[in-house]
Amino acid sequence: MSSTSRKSFTAILSGFFLILAGLIYWQVIADLSDHPLNPRRYDVFRQPRGAILDRWGTPLACTVRQNGDYVRVYACPSLSHVTGYFHQRYGMTGLERTYNSSLAQGQEVHTTIDLALQQKLEALMEGRVGAAIAMNPKTGEVLALLSSPYVDPNKLDEFWSDYAADPRSPFVNRATRGQYPPGSAVKPFVLAAALADRITFSEERWQDSGRVVLSGRTISNFQSQGWGSLTSLEALANSSNVVFAQLAAKLGPRLLDTLRQCGLGEALPFPLGSAAGKLPPAEQSAYGWGQIGIGQGSLLVTPLQMAAAVSAIANGGQLMRPYLVEEVRGGWRLPRLQRPVVYSQAVPQWTAAAVREGMVLAVQQGTAKGAALPGVIAAGKTGTAETLTGDDHAWFIGFAPAHDPRIAVAVVLAHGGLASETAAPLGGLVMQAALEACTQGGMQIER
Amino acid sequence: MRSLALSWLELAGWFGLALVWLSQGRSLVLWWQLAAIWAGFAVLGLLTRHLGGAHSLLLPAALLVGLGWIFLYRLRLEWAAHQFSGFVVGLAAYCVGLMGNWAASRTKYVFGVLAAALLIGTLLFGVWVGGAKAWLALGPYRFQPVEFARVLLILFVVRYLVENKPLLRLGGGWAAAKYWGPLALFMGCILLLLAVQRDLGPALLLFTVYCILSGLVVPARKLLAAYSGLAFAGIGVGLLLFPHLRIRMTAWLHPWEHAEGAGYQILQGLFALNSGKVLGRGIGAGMGELISEVHTDFLFALVGEELGFAGVLSLLSLYLIMAFIGLRLADHTSDPIEKYTAVGIVLLWSVQVFMVVGGIIRLVPLTGMTLPFVSYGSSSLVAQMWMLGILASVGRVRAR
Repeated sequence: MSSTSRKSFTAILSGFFLILAGLIYWQVIADLSDHPLNPRRYDVFRQPRGAILDRWGTPLACTVRQNGDYVRVYACPSLSHVTGYFHQRYGMTGLERTYNSSLAQGQEVHTTIDLALQQKLEALMEGRVGAAIAMNPKTGEVLALLSSPYVDPNKLDEFWSDYAADPRSPFVNRATRGQYPPGSAVKPFVLAAALADRITFSEERWQDSGRVVLSGRTISNFQSQGWGSLTSLEALANSSNVVFAQLAAKLGPRLLDTLRQCGLGEALPFPLGSAAGKLPPAEQSAYGWGQIGIGQGSLLVTPLQMAAAVSAIANGGQLMRPYLVEEVRGGWRLPRLQRPVVYSQAVPQWTAAAVREGMVLAVQQGTAKGAALPGVIAAGKTGTAETLTGDDHAWFIGFAPAHDPRIAVAVVLAHGGLASETAAPLGGLVMQAALEACTQGGMQIER
Repeated sequence: MRSLALSWLELAGWFGLALVWLSQGRSLVLWWQLAAIWAGFAVLGLLTRHLGGAHSLLLPAALLVGLGWIFLYRLRLEWAAHQFSGFVVGLAAYCVGLMGNWAASRTKYVFGVLAAALLIGTLLFGVWVGGAKAWLALGPYRFQPVEFARVLLILFVVRYLVENKPLLRLGGGWAAAKYWGPLALFMGCILLLLAVQRDLGPALLLFTVYCILSGLVVPARKLLAAYSGLAFAGIGVGLLLFPHLRIRMTAWLHPWEHAEGAGYQILQGLFALNSGKVLGRGIGAGMGELISEVHTDFLFALVGEELGFAGVLSLLSLYLIMAFIGLRLADHTSDPIEKYTAVGIVLLWSVQVFMVVGGIIRLVPLTGMTLPFVSYGSSSLVAQMWMLGILASVGRVRAR
């Protein structure tokens, strides 16, 4: 080449490489896909989308074509806190959001939800404010998860402004993010801590006069009822504040270790996200620990944490990681499978067995009598948590059958009143429905 | 000979593949146009070879025109059809370029006069389209004279520089100024004409190519300094005089801060490029049609989205190959006017591609020009085909 051509070509070539560098930056290195002005961010709304299925393969959310547009249809409104919604204007939430990239590529998300059970739960919780979770205690699979009230993801366009104005906040997932004082529902874990620490034993005799004084302040039983002579297990069954305040006061900060190992005070990994709740500070007076032992004070828990923790009591002490999605498959990607994962050893096995007996007693003759099931031995515990505003929160946690548990539940009714009259019967119905679902499914829900 | 036939067969294969792809899921109303583009280029190849011209440029050019047509087809049928009619006129323009004797001495300075006449004509009788008075109407047809004027200007400038080279090379002082003066005055008037028509892209392109050409013909440091000074002064005065220039500068320097205003178009272009990643989303799968002026100024962003980095790398490589072939042709001719004409045409293409693509990726401000051979615009395509013809004719043995 002559010098003219060579000079020109060198100049052109340097321009070419300058452009290439810019292109590599903008096309390969930079990522603008999430910029709010990028219309591609909303591109997923123009494509067919993978379905979200329940454990038996029934669609919970699927895409149908209407007049050339893709429309997302949801099978069960109360699952809007699980599947979430996927809406051109209102964005995406729940599994639709967590698994968006898989769903957008046509993959199916197989959940552990049992649609029939969820629908029964929906009927049972009709009109109440609260949350309920049914879980397989041996694996951590979530079979049903309900937070009430909820929005109907099929009718967002119609009712959005009503939902947004609703003082009961239907968008809040109370099952994973609602933080409540557990009330007496914390007692099984206090007992577990005390047993494990050898502070007490199942048959230890207590004298319960209905009230106890700790660091100069009084803690009394419900309606100051004195139970007289009773064992530690009977104290759990009758929900004796006197006994449990004393146990907690003796345990002190060691109580927090057990609560922590049971998954309280920590945001459990969960595809919908979850709240951490709150553990009280380790510096407390005897009265302060007593308050925590009966589930008052600054202790806050979520229904998801309680379901996981009661599952640990049910299965012999292992805290299973709760999960909602068992498989993502389809499309050209490799399927992803979720197996049960032991999150931690919450309490020793023998402790769990002893606490279980106390919970059986609670259903047979204690505060949780309302949860008794025909022909099945169930274990349970109620909790009535005092609130600063309005009625008490009503809790029920339990599992059944007590000695080979296939189902664990946690129910909370916000401002639901006395738990033995509201949450316990409801918890019994939930356990019954869940046990029926296990057998009607044609297979045992067990791994 | 055999390799040539094979290349054209291969090109036919690519176009065939494109047709098969395009036919999926839609009626291929205009499929014959893509075939006709191939056939047209093949015939031009035969003709060029028969006349002893350089036919190797036609292959990459055919690929570029075919690619442009496919993307216009994907955007809107009418645009592809209109582009095709431009191509048909372009066939004739190529033949004019190929057969004309552009270095003949009798042409003297007629090209410069013609270019000035075209631009003044536009100023007097032009039609306003899209904020620029850049169109001339000939009965029912409209065309953009500046597309042709800049070819004429290059022809003129090259002749002036080459013919006056010994005089222009005289050191400083009055003697050199006597010969630089008229050229500078003429070019200044031309640029002013373009600026008044608000056609600043071509003005900048012409100025750049003119500077490089005069630097190549008459190498001098002083020249370089003078041009740089002029460029800065021009940009400064332009910024003071034209508010829309200031908006463009803002869009270039701070698009994120003005994301919904001045920076909107350039950001949409970047989003499109960015979503293409390495392999692209596939023709028709992108959302580039949402960019304003996607068929002209921003077609490159759409190609980047749908064919990815791999696609735009291939596209830019085609221009690089054309530049290389063009410069090789410039080497093979003994006539300095022909030689610098060839260099000038290569520079026009290359600088234009640089300004268009660089504008989209924010390397330089947006200038609003077409991607040669690819973008929508029949005037542009006809002018490009004419330049292709001129380049193919370089080195042709003709009777003088």
